[in-house]
Order: sequence, then C-alpha cells, then structure tokens
Amino acid sequence: MDDRLRLSDADRDHAAALLRDHFAAGRLAAGELDERLAAILDSRTLGDLRRVLDDLPGAAAASTRPSSAPPRHGQLARGYRRLLACYPAWYRRAHEEEILAVLMTGAPPGKRRPGIAEAADLLWGALRIRCQPARADGGEPAWRDALAVLTVIVPLIVVARPVLNETQFVLLQHPPGLLAGFPQWVLNALAAPLALAALVPLGLRMRRLAALAGAGLLVWLLFGLPGQAFGIAIGDAPAILATALVTAALAASPGPRRGLQIVTWKHAVIVVIATTLVCTSVIPMDRATRLVTRLIVIAVIAAGMALASSLGRWLVLLLAIAAYPLLLFFGLSLFPPGFRASLAPAPLIAAYYLPSLALVILAVVAARRASSRSAKHAA
Amino acid sequence: MREPTFLILTALAAGPQHGYGIMTDVAQISEGRVRLRPGTLYAALNRLVVEDLVEADREEVVDARLRRYYRLTRHGTGRLAAEVERMRRHTAVAARRLELLGGTA
Repeated sequence: MDDRLRLSDADRDHAAALLRDHFAAGRLAAGELDERLAAILDSRTLGDLRRVLDDLPGAAAASTRPSSAPPRHGQLARGYRRLLACYPAWYRRAHEEEILAVLMTGAPPGKRRPGIAEAADLLWGALRIRCQPARADGGEPAWRDALAVLTVIVPLIVVARPVLNETQFVLLQHPPGLLAGFPQWVLNALAAPLALAALVPLGLRMRRLAALAGAGLLVWLLFGLPGQAFGIAIGDAPAILATALVTAALAASPGPRRGLQIVTWKHAVIVVIATTLVCTSVIPMDRATRLVTRLIVIAVIAAGMALASSLGRWLVLLLAIAAYPLLLFFGLSLFPPGFRASLAPAPLIAAYYLPSLALVILAVVAARRASSRSAKHAA
Repeated sequence: MREPTFLILTALAAGPQHGYGIMTDVAQISEGRVRLRPGTLYAALNRLVVEDLVEADREEVVDARLRRYYRLTRHGTGRLAAEVERMRRHTAVAARRLELLGGTA
C-alpha cells in the first residue's frame, strides 16, 4: 500500500487501540506507550503510522488496513443489496443497512461478488422471514385485517363477475339489435351482487347494521323468491358463501373502513384482472383447457398471496371458503349440460358446502390460536 | 430449542451485542463448530423478536456503517435459564448412567 496515503481518524483510533494491546501484552513500557500514542496523533500518512508500529508484531497487517470501510455503494455492496431485495419491504426498511454492514464487515478486502453460499444463505433467510408470523403485538391480528379486507374485496369480485360475463356475452355473441333488452336481464343478473356491494358503504358508517343486512340478504338467497327473479339459483353456493363470508367479516372485524385502509386501487385492479382470468370465458377454448387454465391462475395467485405476508395467507384461506364451490362448479361444467341437473340434491349440496364448512372451522381454530398466542406475548 | 437459537441467546446473555458480534461470539462459544451466516442469524433474530425473547437495544454508526445492538428481554433470560436447567438435568442423568456403564465394563 502507498505510504503517502492519508490517514483517517478511524485509522488512528485503530492504531492507538493496537498500541494499548501491545502495552497490555508487555511489549511496551509506560513511557513508550505515551510517546508512541503522541506520535500516532501526529501521523498524517500511512508511512508515518508504519514507522511508529514498525517493531511491533502485526504491524504490517495494521498498516495495510484499508483506510476506510469499503464504500457502501461499491460493487460488492451492490451485489449484496440485490440479494437483500428478496426480503420483504417492511423488513428491508428496518434492517437492510444493518445486515449490509454485517456482510461488509465480514467480507475480506479483495472480495468483489457475494459467494454462492452467502447468496443461498441470504435467500433462505428471506424465505424464512416471509414465512414467519408478523410481530405479535403490532396492532390488529392478521386475521381481523384479512376479514376487513374481505368486506371490500368480495363485493368487488361478486359484482365484477356478472358484469364481465354479461359484457363479454353481449359484445361477442349478441347482435346489436338485442341491446334493446339489455338493461332488464343485466339488472336480474346484477341485483343480488349490487345488494351485496351496497353493504360496503353501509358498513363504512354502521357496521353492525350492515352485518344484519347481510344476514337478511343471506336468508333471502337461501329461502326467498324462486332464484330466477334475482338471477341467482337457490343452489348457487359461491354466491351464498360469499354473502355469508361478507356478513361474518362485517360482524367480526373492523369492517370496510379498515379494509379500505389496507386495499389500494392497485389491489382493486389486480382483483378485477384476476376475476376476469378466472371467471369469464373470453378466450375461446374447450372446457377442459379452460378449467386447467383457471386452476393454474388460481394456484399462481394463491401462492403469490401466501408468500407475500401473513395477511395474504389468511386471505387465501378465507377466500378458499367461497372459491372452492366455484371450482367445483367449473369442474362440473366439464360434463354434458344435463349432468348437474341429474345429480341428486343431497350429495350435491354436501359436495358444495362441506369442504367450505371444514375450511371455516379451520379458519376459526387458527384465528383463536393466533389470538391466544398474541395475548400470551402481550402479557 | 434449536442449537443456533440457544447459542444466540447465550451470546446475548453476556450483554447487548450487534449482529457481527453475535456471529463471532457464537463461533467462539461453540469452538468453531457452529458458524452462523447473516441470513440465518437475522431470520433467527426476527423470530426471537416476534417471540419477545430478544429486543433491540440501541443503534450506533461506526465507520459509516449502521450497527444495531440486541439484548435479551426478561422473558428471554427466563427461557434461557429454563433451557439450561432442562439440559443440565438431562446431562446429569446421562452422566450417571455412563458412570454405571463404565463401572460394570
């Protein structure tokens, strides 16, 4: 290293610390310690320092220490930051600089790129942190937030689905002359979904009243007018479960106010796109391919949500309650049209509702465990 | 309790330490057998913070780098002590039995 290089305060501190170690080891007398400490304070260049420490062991290592910490923005640091980008954003905000400091401290001077083992270790750490529950005492438990999000997202899906279906049906299959009859049957298809969507603004103001209204809507769907007047057959499990889900969410969570805090318009756009991909039949393909495509899209979305956060995992579980019958519905559509009508009602109802009921029980148990765990830690 | 967790808590039992200090301390306590890498260390620290066994102590800037120190919580000290007691009882039983075994050999 060049003897004319200037020293930083950190370099002088480091050399002074070494001198004290040598004194403690008995290599220097007290008078010599003071003399050399003064010489270090007066040192300006690496060469000066080298002369002060010349006859002490480890002097070569001391004077060849890089004059400042490797820059935080150097090539190695950039490599580490690229790896750290895999960590969740909230974690990076709190810890990125700290972890980078540890990585840079442990890196030998000539290192230019993160090693393979280091990269694997950082990626593994990112995965583990994504899978860990959020802070136990940090505000609302995740499941209550998930329910609040549901009060906003489920009505969106329930309205988007028939709108998208009817729109593409009209645009692709009906000649313009039939547009005269357009408002009537759109209204039929949309009546119940719009009633559900109306619960959202109601829930913003009067959550319990909205929950009661949701329960009323549910009863009407199950036992009310013969389904066709409202465009929903009585056995339409996805709609019924969606309504039940929103009612429960309004009752048990902070409701749309909290939901709208969490959900942004970007999320809403993603939800509409996902609904389009899963629920509509715009792209012509045979039924089996369509079912497989839908399954793949659902699997990808669910995996993405599950890995994103614990809130995402709760949403996957809760949405599965209403989504499962939808999948069964899609699956049954693979068979010839009369097949569903020919099945006996009791096994059909069981097939539609029992798995969702099992998921509901699972969700309740998990929520109680999560609540008791966070209560225990808060104590 | 897994071994790396136990070693991290043991390292912090000596007093608040920062990440790099915990890594070197763990290597020293385990006599070089357990080498924690930063990814594993911070994933463990995150879990320990969530479980309220460890908390952040203070932050310092050294050499233009951020250092965050961690310390044991009261709960963490208790857990470590309970774990030490548990292991002590187990090792006492094992040692007694090995003695008997050695005696009849």
